[in-house]
Amino acid sequence: MTLLADLSTPIVMGILLGGLYAVIALGLSLVFGVVKEMNIAHGDLVILGSYLAYTIMTSFGVDPILSLIIGMPLFFGLGFVIQKYLLNRAFKISMDATLIIAFGISIILQNTYQLIWTPMSRGLTTSYALKSFSAGPFFFPFVYLLNFVVAIAVMICLREFLRRTYLGVAIRSAAQDMKAAHLMGINTNRVFAYTFAIGMVLAAVAGVLLGLTFPFTPTSGLPFLIIALGVVVLGGLGSIAGTLIGGIAFGLAQTLGGHFFGVAAQMLVAYTMVLVVLAVIPRGIFGR
Amino acid sequence: MKATIPRQHGKLILQLAVIALLALFPIIGVPRAWTLYLFLFFSYLAMANMWNLLAGYSGLICLCPAAFIGLAGYTLTIMTWLGVPYYFGIAYGGIAAALFAILISIPVFRLRGIYFAIGTLVVPEILRFVFLLWKPVGGDTFGRGAGYSVKGLDGVSESHLYWYALAVGIVSIFLMRYILRSKLGRGLAAIRDNDDTAASCGINVFNLKLYSFVIAALLTGIAGAILYIYHGYIEPASAFSISWLVTIILATVLGGEGTEEGPIVGTVIVVFLHFLLARYAEISLIIQGIILIGIMLLAPRGIMGFVRNTKTYQSLLELVARPAS
Repeated sequence: MTLLADLSTPIVMGILLGGLYAVIALGLSLVFGVVKEMNIAHGDLVILGSYLAYTIMTSFGVDPILSLIIGMPLFFGLGFVIQKYLLNRAFKISMDATLIIAFGISIILQNTYQLIWTPMSRGLTTSYALKSFSAGPFFFPFVYLLNFVVAIAVMICLREFLRRTYLGVAIRSAAQDMKAAHLMGINTNRVFAYTFAIGMVLAAVAGVLLGLTFPFTPTSGLPFLIIALGVVVLGGLGSIAGTLIGGIAFGLAQTLGGHFFGVAAQMLVAYTMVLVVLAVIPRGIFGR
Repeated sequence: MKATIPRQHGKLILQLAVIALLALFPIIGVPRAWTLYLFLFFSYLAMANMWNLLAGYSGLICLCPAAFIGLAGYTLTIMTWLGVPYYFGIAYGGIAAALFAILISIPVFRLRGIYFAIGTLVVPEILRFVFLLWKPVGGDTFGRGAGYSVKGLDGVSESHLYWYALAVGIVSIFLMRYILRSKLGRGLAAIRDNDDTAASCGINVFNLKLYSFVIAALLTGIAGAILYIYHGYIEPASAFSISWLVTIILATVLGGEGTEEGPIVGTVIVVFLHFLLARYAEISLIIQGIILIGIMLLAPRGIMGFVRNTKTYQSLLELVARPAS
């Protein structure tokens, strides 16, 4: 019984943290599933969302969540431009080219953050960031609950968008069969650009949540990219529910790993799990 | 992506003379800046050649050379702390990297294409955490995330390091040449172009990929260990840093991925950039990133791919080929 009581804190924290990981992975999963390119700059683009919210917060005093009103359209435009002018072209060359160009974007972004925001660790410290709520005898940070609620909301929005709008249907058809979609009169290049742009909007949301939850540095993108990749692979491509389950699994791996092996080893546990997932179920739980 | 392998027209004697001349450089009093440049050139050349073997010829986009380099560097350092001479340390470093490659081949070789890249991306990060947490040698005063300095380097001069780097660089060139003309190379090319077809033609896909992966790990590890003797100090953040990958990819892609001369041309430029950008260290990654994206969009097969398509090169080839036939 004491073991269960001991474990209840990391378990609840892990499940709630899973919301954050699911949001980070959602943008990656969308681009990976539709455009079939692995955007290894995704982690750094999420961190860009964190830095943008940080700058808006420190210079204008706007709440990070409200700053998304500016951040989301900005990221939408940026994503559209990146896909249309860089990755769509690379896509025609080869699979390696998209990977290498995304890698180039990633190192440019990291260097830019160091120039503008210095290598110091930053965080979005708002009035509610340090608050906590109680559930029975235990206290949990309010931000973790926020992560989970926002994750559910974002997923429902994305699901309804993909089901009900014309663009959503076009995106799904391009994901299923690019050539057939093209023959049905869908401008696949533009659909890819919109897909990447939507992925970037998700990255902006993820960036704000990340900044509220963890401190971040210019090189924080890679750890979150790796976790997001693990989430995408575990959940299976193209499955929104799978992404949430994958996120929760990695959240639990991290908090339980921290509980059993010490805080220093928690990321090691999560990383090892990525390799294990890749080796054992590369198609994921809900994979097609 | 098709890669043609042109016949070697160069005379072996000429090549040996060039190597002998290069080996004599430290003795005949060539300026130190030159030998330093060549030292870095040959070390990075070995790494770039091996990355080219994997990405350009085997279709394995390996994002973990940092794992081999860091692991070899740590093996070397630990060995010198245990009193093993540094030259054995280099060899053990390479062997450790090769053994590690066999170990990680179990999970990552189940994966194809982009999934393989993901799998290898995780590996250096795992090792970085392992070496942050693990204290291999040195008791309480040293280690645990802190760095180690390489011991037992009293008798080592810059000339020695230069010769080691020269050896590994030259070996990597001849090894590439040998592999690409052997059964292994042709099998790898078949796997890269279509692994299902290759398997149905009786090629053991897993084994051939494993051979090239282990060879690449061995040589990358040896080159990494030599570089760590030069640095004289190792710590987890830089040993498993992404910047190794930046340098190696840039050298290969700039020169021409999937061409034999590509890494040589690319490494010449990258080492030059290395010295040039030392003054602008704060924006060096931005510049390297822009070059990487630019070359990929404008000339996806790099400088050598571009040169090969020009008429001058074609007619030059014919000119060289004529007296031989």
